[in-house]
Amino acid sequence: MQWSPRAPRDDVNVSRTHPLSEAATLFGGIALVLVAVVALAWAVVEVAVRWMPYDLEARLFSGLRPAWTVADSGAEDAALTAERRAALQTLLDRLVARWPERPFALEVGIVAGDEPNAVALPGGAVLVTEGLLAQSGSENEIAFVLAHEIGHFRNRDHLRGLGRAALVGLVLTAVGIGDATAAAFSQPFVVLAGRGFDRTQESDADRFALGLVAAEYGHAAGAAEFFRRLPDAEAGVAIRVAGWVSTHPVSADRIAALDAAAREAGIATQGPVTPLPAPLARE
Amino acid sequence: MRELEVLIQLGVPAALLLLAYFTGSFVERRHYASIRLRETRVRKFPLLAFREVPAGWEVTESALMTGTVVVSLDHFKRFLANLRNLVGGRVTAYESLLDRARREAMLRLQESAFERGYRAIVNLRLETYQITGGGDAPGTGVEVLAYGTALKLARRPGADA
Repeated sequence: MQWSPRAPRDDVNVSRTHPLSEAATLFGGIALVLVAVVALAWAVVEVAVRWMPYDLEARLFSGLRPAWTVADSGAEDAALTAERRAALQTLLDRLVARWPERPFALEVGIVAGDEPNAVALPGGAVLVTEGLLAQSGSENEIAFVLAHEIGHFRNRDHLRGLGRAALVGLVLTAVGIGDATAAAFSQPFVVLAGRGFDRTQESDADRFALGLVAAEYGHAAGAAEFFRRLPDAEAGVAIRVAGWVSTHPVSADRIAALDAAAREAGIATQGPVTPLPAPLARE
Repeated sequence: MRELEVLIQLGVPAALLLLAYFTGSFVERRHYASIRLRETRVRKFPLLAFREVPAGWEVTESALMTGTVVVSLDHFKRFLANLRNLVGGRVTAYESLLDRARREAMLRLQESAFERGYRAIVNLRLETYQITGGGDAPGTGVEVLAYGTALKLARRPGADA
């Protein structure tokens, strides 16, 4: 048998697809599918949120409430914290009373944290941070924030948020199974996609809150006061970008929107401001 | 700053991927250049998959000879393959990796046999192993083992010299 040497062929076993074009095709295609899946998840949540009866919500999440409403501020002044919580609860109850269709009682809790923030949790818990209380100048300011959270319950945004987080979490986990880098890429897209919706929710809750505080105090003075204080902290190079990226509209935009909404509803933005209740007043 | 956070979240993985792409393709180009050069050098050295010694060959000595290589995955290839995993299809990112590993292993087999005075190899076999990071860690590369029976020949019909 004759053996004749031949130059090896190196063109059959390796595809000619350029790695970068392969990456672009795959990444673009998967991103499209992700966007579609998230949009579908959004729609499912929207339907579910409208359909879910209030008593079912209360029953499903009642287990959460005690745990979430326990004030935890280091424990050395537990009595003072309890007193402050009680003062906040009184204020919340007065505001909730102005919402006749309220489906269940709401409870307030104070959590540690320097950043001024408040959150509405499924089942009827409202949490405010120590930082929010520390930066408030009057009862009206806190009342507006609480009323804003009540607005989230009215619009069922807390359920929406939870549902989206759960569904998006599922999608991300499915992607993350393949690769940590892929998961890192998909996360910001999904989060950003939700921002536009979130901002509408915030504005809706603001408008509802205006109505509540106006019913309680006869005017909406102090409502925007809180946000007027914030721009100093938020002043940055990219405040325009921040307006789109962050959940809550930037303070300047928000104040303007509040003023416009008050004018439209015929609510006075000036009036006698109620000082902070004694336990909440700063020493 | 939220936007900075997003930028870092997207930018750092993207930069790492791009860096891995450039280093990976540089290494691959260099490896292919070396493979092609050495393949032309050994192209007159018979490397056969036959189990029998071809008729007419006069064998004076034989031995088991191995050539093995481990080639590492790069971050970019792994990312590409993981994306491909989601949808299915040909994992082109790994084709060149395996191609290089197979050819390098066969080259090493031929080169080591030649150095020891052998002039042909029959019964060539190839094995591929995945090198894992242990447990659930992602794979780090592939090992290709080429082995066969190296022959010292007194006479080979058709040989130049």
